[in-house]
Amino acid sequence: MENYAIKFENVSKIYKLKKKNDGNTKSSETKRFYALKNISFEIPQGEVVGILGTNGSGKSTLSLILAGISEIDEGVMHINGEQSLVAINTGLNKQLTGLENINVKGALLGLSKKQIQEIIDGVIEFAELGDFLYQPVKKYSSGMKSRLGFSISLYLNPDIIIVDEALSVGDKGFAQKCINKMNELKDEGKTIIFISHSLPQVRNFCQTAMWIEGGMLKEYGEVGEVCDHYGEYVDYYNSLTNKEKAKIRDNKFKKRIVQNPQIGFWEKVLDRIKG
Amino acid sequence: MLKSIKYVLKENFTNLFRIYSISKYELLSDIRDSRLGIFWNFANPLIQILTYYFVFGLVMNRKDVDGIPFIQWMLAGMVVWFFINPCITQGANAIFSKTGVITKMKFPVSVLPATVVLKELFNHACILLLMIIFYCTQGVYPSIEWLGIIYYCFAACCFAVSLAMITSVLNMIARDTRKLILACMRLILYLTPILWPISRFSEQTLLFDIIRFVMKINPIYYIVCGYRDCFLYHLGFMHYWKQMLAFWGITGILFVVGCYMMYKFKHKFIDMI
Repeated sequence: MENYAIKFENVSKIYKLKKKNDGNTKSSETKRFYALKNISFEIPQGEVVGILGTNGSGKSTLSLILAGISEIDEGVMHINGEQSLVAINTGLNKQLTGLENINVKGALLGLSKKQIQEIIDGVIEFAELGDFLYQPVKKYSSGMKSRLGFSISLYLNPDIIIVDEALSVGDKGFAQKCINKMNELKDEGKTIIFISHSLPQVRNFCQTAMWIEGGMLKEYGEVGEVCDHYGEYVDYYNSLTNKEKAKIRDNKFKKRIVQNPQIGFWEKVLDRIKG
Repeated sequence: MLKSIKYVLKENFTNLFRIYSISKYELLSDIRDSRLGIFWNFANPLIQILTYYFVFGLVMNRKDVDGIPFIQWMLAGMVVWFFINPCITQGANAIFSKTGVITKMKFPVSVLPATVVLKELFNHACILLLMIIFYCTQGVYPSIEWLGIIYYCFAACCFAVSLAMITSVLNMIARDTRKLILACMRLILYLTPILWPISRFSEQTLLFDIIRFVMKINPIYYIVCGYRDCFLYHLGFMHYWKQMLAFWGITGILFVVGCYMMYKFKHKFIDMI
């Protein structure tokens, strides 16, 4: 076995944009847009990586790709081990009780009956729902819901765990509990990808950090350095006037448009249908 | 082609527990939704049957078909419709209604049509129970031929899953698919000889010959006929081998096309939403 968990080589992800309909010009081509452009990196096994970036820079796309949900359009991706995206509210059914929801979500994630029985006690204890466990989830507060969802995800046993903004909900106590649990997982040698806007959380929890800006990898290295640079950039960006900000955004957007895309026949037909 | 069939079959058979759990909890959540719960799984078809009994049994007083009271004859076909109809309409929505799940976790999308059909199968079992009681009150008693229902039910499931695989993928490409299907369901009901006997088209003219031919290769009609044979005519399930071949031929083609589409688009669904 090699010692990397995830290896990207020039990976790109392309999204289609809807045709602009401003009334005057009629462009028949659907525009293509790099959500991620030419990204290469290698994450060693057992590392905890924080991913930073402003809104719309491609963090969530990256997490979907890492989780194996979305497919890449260009480049090569190697993943060593089973990966799982910590998704809080997915698969929770409002009408069912918390206990039943643990079964539902376990089944959705592909666990067998036996595996669900194995994790169920741990999940119940971790979620701290008390008697609410037997109440339908529609009666839950949003914090309770995320606690339940998060607990189920944490008790799965993947090699690579991807956490996308999951700790922004729930109170501080629970967030700390999650961090502690994730630290435990870290000690077990799991690779953790931690996507967050909260710089302090990233600084505390991660060893390395990755900064993605405009779909491109800007920096990947030791957590303190990257966080400093990212913090400086955000401060710099905020100090600009609105006009300058718009200019920067425009430039970034233009760089991400795909020039001369190679489109197959069927895709052209699909573009036509989708408009 | 073979690769895609293998892929879909493998995904379905390795995820049997997942399919079972999804349909079970989906049903359970439906039941929890209302105060009376499972009562509605029986009450809804019962009220529908009473409606048809009132209209076709009492008001219109239709002629017996082959010596069988019209209401008995019609109901044997109608239960098939009560099963196939939600299978088709909800099957088209199978993938789209699970958007939240497929965008957030690695999920074998091709099992979704099967979950919809399995869920409807439970409702179908409820309605069959009612039917048996109804037939007993009418003086039609269970016989060994009734076991043929199991075969026809299996056939209906195969057909429904195959069709749902195609429609659910098409529905992801363009949401118009489901709207089209919803609009056409009533048409399909009247085009299938459920509410009227096919002997209406017994004249030997070219037009009627074509209509009869189209009706007979209609897969839904094969199942309708099968239910009637088992319940009322006391015939086994190998009765019409030509229609049987046509049915399995059509279902097979639908299945292959469905598998191919599922395989082709397996990673594209998330970008289609």
